Amino acid sequence: MKGLAGRIIGVIVVLIGVVALIFVMLRIIPGDPASVLLNEHVSQANIDRLTRTMGLDRSLPEQFFGYLAGVLHGDFGRSYYIQQPVSNLIMEALPFTIKLTLLSIAFAWTFGIISGVASAMYNEHIIDYLFRGAALLGISVPVFMVALLLQYIFYFRLSIFPLTYDGSFASLILPAIALGWNSAGSIARLMRSELMEELDAPYMDTAKAKGLSYRKAVLVHALRNAALPVISLMALQLSGMLSGAVITESIFSIPGLGKLALTALQTRDMPLLQGTVLFTAFLIALGNICADLINTLLNPRLRTG
Amino acid sequence: MTVKHIYMIALIAALILSGCGAGAGNTDTSAQQDAAASQTAGAQADNADSGLLRGALNADITTMDVHKTSNDYMVPMNIYDTLFTIRKKDDGSTEIVNSLAESYDLSDDGKTYHFTLRDGVVFSDGTPLTAKDVKFTFERILTLPDSAQTDYAIPIDGAQDLLDGKADSLKGITVEDDHNFSITLSEPYAGFLASLATPSASIYSEKIVTEAGDDFGVLPEKTLGTGPYIVTEWTRGSGLKFEYNPRYWGEEPSVKRVELSIMEPQAMNMAFQKGDLDILDCLLIDSAIVKSIYKTDAYKDHIVSIDRMGTNFFMMNENVEPLNNVQVRKAIQMAIDRESILQSIYDGDGQLEDGIYPTGCLVYNKENQGWLKYDPEGAKKLLTDAGYGDGFDMEICLDTSNTDAVQNTVQVIAQNLNDIGIRANIRSVDHASYLDLRNSGDMSSYLALWLLDFNDPDNIIYTFFGNKDNTKTRSNNYADDAVIARVTAAKTIVDETERNKEYAALEKKLVQDDAVWVPMFSLKHLFVISDRVAEFTPHWAGWSDFYFAQTELK
Repeated sequence: MKGLAGRIIGVIVVLIGVVALIFVMLRIIPGDPASVLLNEHVSQANIDRLTRTMGLDRSLPEQFFGYLAGVLHGDFGRSYYIQQPVSNLIMEALPFTIKLTLLSIAFAWTFGIISGVASAMYNEHIIDYLFRGAALLGISVPVFMVALLLQYIFYFRLSIFPLTYDGSFASLILPAIALGWNSAGSIARLMRSELMEELDAPYMDTAKAKGLSYRKAVLVHALRNAALPVISLMALQLSGMLSGAVITESIFSIPGLGKLALTALQTRDMPLLQGTVLFTAFLIALGNICADLINTLLNPRLRTG
Repeated sequence: MTVKHIYMIALIAALILSGCGAGAGNTDTSAQQDAAASQTAGAQADNADSGLLRGALNADITTMDVHKTSNDYMVPMNIYDTLFTIRKKDDGSTEIVNSLAESYDLSDDGKTYHFTLRDGVVFSDGTPLTAKDVKFTFERILTLPDSAQTDYAIPIDGAQDLLDGKADSLKGITVEDDHNFSITLSEPYAGFLASLATPSASIYSEKIVTEAGDDFGVLPEKTLGTGPYIVTEWTRGSGLKFEYNPRYWGEEPSVKRVELSIMEPQAMNMAFQKGDLDILDCLLIDSAIVKSIYKTDAYKDHIVSIDRMGTNFFMMNENVEPLNNVQVRKAIQMAIDRESILQSIYDGDGQLEDGIYPTGCLVYNKENQGWLKYDPEGAKKLLTDAGYGDGFDMEICLDTSNTDAVQNTVQVIAQNLNDIGIRANIRSVDHASYLDLRNSGDMSSYLALWLLDFNDPDNIIYTFFGNKDNTKTRSNNYADDAVIARVTAAKTIVDETERNKEYAALEKKLVQDDAVWVPMFSLKHLFVISDRVAEFTPHWAGWSDFYFAQTELK
């Protein structure tokens, strides 16, 4: 548990670093929120007035430490553009992203593991080629492409699912597949190669010799050994999912964290972007700690280290 | 759990099968399609009964409070009312029509307007509208720390003092009784009534706004106006729902419910073809798709087109060497092949503009048209005479949030300039960076559009050349202070003949003599309507935002 405490301190340091980095970066890139808010109907007097209202006329260290002090008190500031407390906006958006991520993890794991196992068991068989092809598509086709293809097939041609998110469970299925597609592909490929290695291991002969069927031997013995690296990969993919959610949420109009962050970036809404990035970094750090814990629990060799 | 599991596996199988079959053809899935088609048909029948109109937005709105945004007018236009509105007549000209104001008269010095409010108007919660609400509205525009609409209240006497915090109330508005009030301007301003007819000048209720506090413009149930619709639901990032306001003072519209969904361009196109959208805004989707799918015989009767009252122009920064040389700017005016851009990129949907005010704008003057001809040889000669025979490097800034058509136009302009020896480089930046760069006054050149907010020449000419600050924020840095002073002064001319003459003279001076910009064209705005829509009237100036009440369903 000493390791865990160290990890938690590490996370706090990383989060402060993230805030500092995003704070500085947002002020280096061109574009200011007052201009975006006024857009075409701009005048110098209005820019100056809004800059003062937003507190952007203060010095950079003053703004940074002011923000940090606020964050430590749980105050993430107000969005310039949407004019709501940032923490409210994040909490409104979070359930959508969680639903989407959970569903796409469910898809990625089910599809990835089943196709990986099937590929390995029926090596060089037609099933293997089919699943390997699908997995290759999964890792090589970008998320937005998959999303468009899914919309075209399942909405436009087949009318099975809604085009965009409308609050129903059915309308979350296409986004979940689009987002999980990539992860499913990598899981399938890793699962297949790990399992293939295990299939040649001597204990498989023992298993068969004691009278187990091939399927049972694979599912009970080989799969258990092959699963370790796959589980590590799956845990790591959580953070990838959060970044993929930015694109998926935009395409399917899901009012989640990714879409919020994207809007914030486009409008240079600094408090909102700082808030969403900080929160996402926190989620990723949390995910990584969980991944480590799971790994340690599953793999006794790591426990002493 | 197991049901979900089976569903998932079926889904995966379907995905793989249809993925493989997509290239080969779709004959094998026709059975599924038939089943699906009958489902959709059922859904459509439900919608048809209920007066529902379905539209799409390309991005979410930021607020429903029009005092805090100058971008998102779709909601304000439909839930609030203004004192006047603008109607487009059959001949293409516009007229100002009474809305919340029942009548008005103007004093002889041209400064004081006396208004009478329409009787019996209530906000959607039943609160009656009074003249006090009007005064409150304009005071709020000026005192809100993050107000985006101060331009609309500034002409009123005492507005600057209130804005600067030197006064606690707006001196220029006098409330006489519940229905009568007068507005005094600091100087006569011919465009004032027209400016009251824009969504920016929507009238709020003092009681509703004060009680709602920070929730006004954010929570639908607290954001109420006198307009024909009420927002019933706003899911941030996803869409908005509206319902007819039964307390509305005007005629009951044909559209009873509205759903606006936020969609990506490809999704809009699919949804429209599938019958899930009633109005498709062609400016929001890819222009190649518009041309290949919608500008065909199949959709011939479904296209609604309106002339956008707005000038597209190519601005040149006079602070940048050698664009500070008027001969160079004139050469650029002659070098751009506007006609072929209009034909090839916009499929001829528009007309060339040679001045500042677009076709249809008050004071539009035919004599200032037709003088600019595409003449690359002449342009080369001008460049040589100006001492730039070997050409020079210049930068064109491009906002990547623009439509593909705008991006293609910039490419052609760069090519046209290269043809006369000017090495034009395109610098692509995102919208926020673009605005920042332009407002700083350092953008070398850019292609942009100004759509009129209200039909008055001041709305466009003052924006770009009305004062020193404006010439900087628009990155033209026009240097002739005498002309700038004349643009400011032109606002106050009340006599119509004199006003027309001065605005025409200013247009000629700025565009023809000083070549401040390359006037390009004004374009048509196309919409496609579904079979459920009998009549669709776009906004008079061709905005993407429209009044739901002006749409008739079958």
